[in-house]
Formats: sequence, C-alpha cells, structure tokens
Amino acid sequence: MKSVSELTDFYYKNLFPTLEQLENKRKNLRYKIVIVALVYTLLCAAIAYTLVNFYEFIIFAYIAIGAIIYKFLIHDYTHEFKMSVIKPLIHAIDSSLLYSSTTHVSDYYFERSKLFEKPDKLGGNDYVKGQIDGINIQFSDIHAQKRHKNSKGRESWSTLFQGLFIVADFNKNFSGETVVLPDSAQSTFGDLIGHWLQSNNMARDELVKMDDPEFEKEFVVYSTDQVEARYILSNSLMKKLLAFQQKSSHKVHISFIQNHIYMAISYNKDLFEPSIFRSLLDYKVAMEYVKTLHLAISVVEELKLNQKLWSKR
Amino acid sequence: MSMPFIILIILALILVLMYNSLVAKKNQVENIFASVDTTLKKRYDLIPNLVASVKEYMQHEKSLLEEVTKLRAEAMKPDISDAHKIALDAKVTSALGSIMIAVEDYPELKANENIMHLQHTLHEVEEQISAARRAYNQAVTDYNNAIEMVPTNFMASLMNYRRKQVFEIVESERKNIDVKELFN
Repeated sequence: MKSVSELTDFYYKNLFPTLEQLENKRKNLRYKIVIVALVYTLLCAAIAYTLVNFYEFIIFAYIAIGAIIYKFLIHDYTHEFKMSVIKPLIHAIDSSLLYSSTTHVSDYYFERSKLFEKPDKLGGNDYVKGQIDGINIQFSDIHAQKRHKNSKGRESWSTLFQGLFIVADFNKNFSGETVVLPDSAQSTFGDLIGHWLQSNNMARDELVKMDDPEFEKEFVVYSTDQVEARYILSNSLMKKLLAFQQKSSHKVHISFIQNHIYMAISYNKDLFEPSIFRSLLDYKVAMEYVKTLHLAISVVEELKLNQKLWSKR
Repeated sequence: MSMPFIILIILALILVLMYNSLVAKKNQVENIFASVDTTLKKRYDLIPNLVASVKEYMQHEKSLLEEVTKLRAEAMKPDISDAHKIALDAKVTSALGSIMIAVEDYPELKANENIMHLQHTLHEVEEQISAARRAYNQAVTDYNNAIEMVPTNFMASLMNYRRKQVFEIVESERKNIDVKELFN
C-alpha cells in the first residue's frame, strides 16, 4: 500500500492542475460567502430593529436560515472537490475501491457493532468500500445522534458518535462478542473505584482484565466469553491496537462481532470536507485528507488482518 | 429498630457478600479451567495424526515422537489432578515445538499438504490454548488475591480454600528468539 508521503506526493503532483482550478473557485466562493453573509446579517439586523420583542426567535431563525444558505452556496464546490480530489486519492490507494460521496456505512453495521447506543438519527457521507489485500473493508464518515425530551416536552439532540467508522473482515473465527472501549473510568476515578465502576457496568457484558498493563491503562474490554476475548486480543494484537490508537491520536472504540472488526474513531467533525477559508494548496490541509484516508485503509495492514488462520482459508 | 440489630444486619450482609464473592471466584476458576481442558483435548486429538504423518520421515527423532505419544496417553487418563494437567501441558508444548522445528529439516515433509494443514491447525489450537491459559491465570490471580487479602482471607481459611497454581510459560518460550539459530 502507498505510504502517507507517497500519497501526499500524489496529491501535489498529479492533482495540481485540478487543485489550482479549485483554488480559484474557492477564492471566488469565499468572496461570495462574505458578501452574502454581510447582506444577510444586515437584513436580519434591520428586521430585529423593527420587531423589537422577538429577539430570541430572530437569532434562532438567523442561525438556521444562515446554515441552509451556507450549505446551498458550497454545495456545488463540495461535490466538485470530492469528485476531483478525494475520489482520485482513494483510487491512488487502490483502484478497485468504490467511493460514494453521499452514502455512508449502513445503520445495520453501526448498530451491529454494539459500540454505541442505538441512535435515533444516523447520517454520514464519503463511503468507501472494497478489498485491500483480499480483506473486505468499508468505511465512511458517520454522525449518530440521540433524541432527548425534557419535562416540558422540548426536544434536543446529542451526539453519540461523530467520526470515521470502519468495518473489516477479521482473521479469526469466533462466536461471541468482544467490545474494547477507551478507559475513561479508571483514568478519571483511579484504579480501585474505576475498576469497580467498570465491573458493574450493567449495559455491557462481563469485564475482561487484560494482561498487558499498557493496554489496560488505555482500554477497557467487555466480552461474552473470557477465553474468546483473549483468543481475539492476542498479545501482539493488543500492541498493534495500542500503536493504532497512538497513531490516530483520537479516541478509538473497537469491537469484534460475527467475524468482523468494527472501529469507530472520534473526530467530532465532518471529515473529507473541502476547506473554504483555507487554501487547498496548504500542506496541513492536504495532510489531513491523506492521513485520515491512510489511517482507515491501513487498518488491514497494521492489524495484519490478511494473515488468515487455517480455519478461515 | 435498635442500633445493635442494624449493626448485626450490616455484618451479616458483609459476610454474605464476602462468601458469595469467594464462591464466585472459585467457580470462575473452575469454569475457565474447563475451557482450558477442552482446548488441551483438541490438541491431544491432533497428536496421533501428527505422529502418523511424520513417523516415516523422522527416524532420527523417534524418541521425540515416542515422548509426545507417552505424554498424550498420560494426559488422557481420567482423574488426574489439575496441577498434573498443568505440568503435562508444559511438557507437551515443548515436545510439539521440538517436532515442528524438526519438520523444518525435511523439505519433502515441510511441503506436504497434510503436514501444512496440521501445522496450521496446531497453530490455531496453540492460540486458543494460550488464550485459555491467560484467562485461567487471571481467574486464579483474582482468586488467590481474594483468599490472601484482608478481610476475605479470614473467611477463605474458614471455607478451607487453598491457593491455586497458575500456568507458567515454558522456559524455551520465555527466551528471546535467536534469529541466527533459526537460519542455521
């Protein structure tokens, strides 16, 4: 597989004419957005000035309509960016990978992963599907939300997960369910209370204490089967997952269910979106796209998922 | 309700909780040892096939094959103690490792489809055994901690609970692999 530096080279060398064209469009778009925002703000301010008593409603409408106008303005540019930058980047990694800018990993897989509660609203985009080294893999941006109602019946939404969601074949056969979550209890409450809280987590299966202290510090493992959890999480896989967590530098949730590995990497933002207020030729911007894509696809290589055991051949 | 009565109820509750947690830990050890047993049995079932497949080639390693067959027969006997099973497991692991290394010296054998299949199956069983051993060791550690730590140790000694033995890594597996030696 191509390395991050090779992909960055590809970004600058092969996509340069496209990037230059897009960069001009981006500058024009930025100018247009600033003008529209100014006119829109002035208009709203004038309305607010005449209707003195409805400030709350006007501010709400200002933000909501503003967001719609912004989305409408950037729609074409976003589409063009994804088709002429993200898609070629994905194909540079492997030409057989399929890409869709509008769909996402299905609700079925998200719920099947058992990493988060069942969401009330699931959205996402930038779906990639295909085979890497003979391993089926799919990933996309996902935004899962939960609906809440307060005593007055007012509705609000909270984010369960936002970031990169990856599903891949796993190289071992197993029948139980094993979930690996970031260890927040032990790091917040200390070993004793944290451990007590973890072992009494009603929403999860049995707590599995792992024999790698570093892994234990970073993650907490729940499983339906103590032995199987350790069969999946061999000492070498624990080391690899730790390295993956360090590489991604974001919180990673992992589960092993029905011969699949599910990984959710929290980013708390929409990935692969074009930057409007920063240059596309900016090194940092390019690196972000490349690194995120590389991270998702490198799962197969990093975790050596292609080293299948006899029973799965 | 009078104060002494409340204290008595709390004390009884603590005793019940301690008793239950000790029993749960002991049962967890037994439960996981059953998994270890199942995976060990899987490995013992593979041994006759392995021996039959390599016997003709490995004339020089005859004693090794006899040793592994003998160990298997011993391990398959009913009613052997857990400690004995643990000791036999270590011996079988090292004997099988030696056979696998010896296979490398026979190019024909190494390329044999049957042997390759056996090697992969053994490798998978080894991984399962290793997982079961790790789970067992964790359960035993929890149990041993409980019977030695205050206050559960008092109750454990009343219940006549004794320390249990953990699986130890075979000495050869503890050493770092000498790459040079592998290529010689």
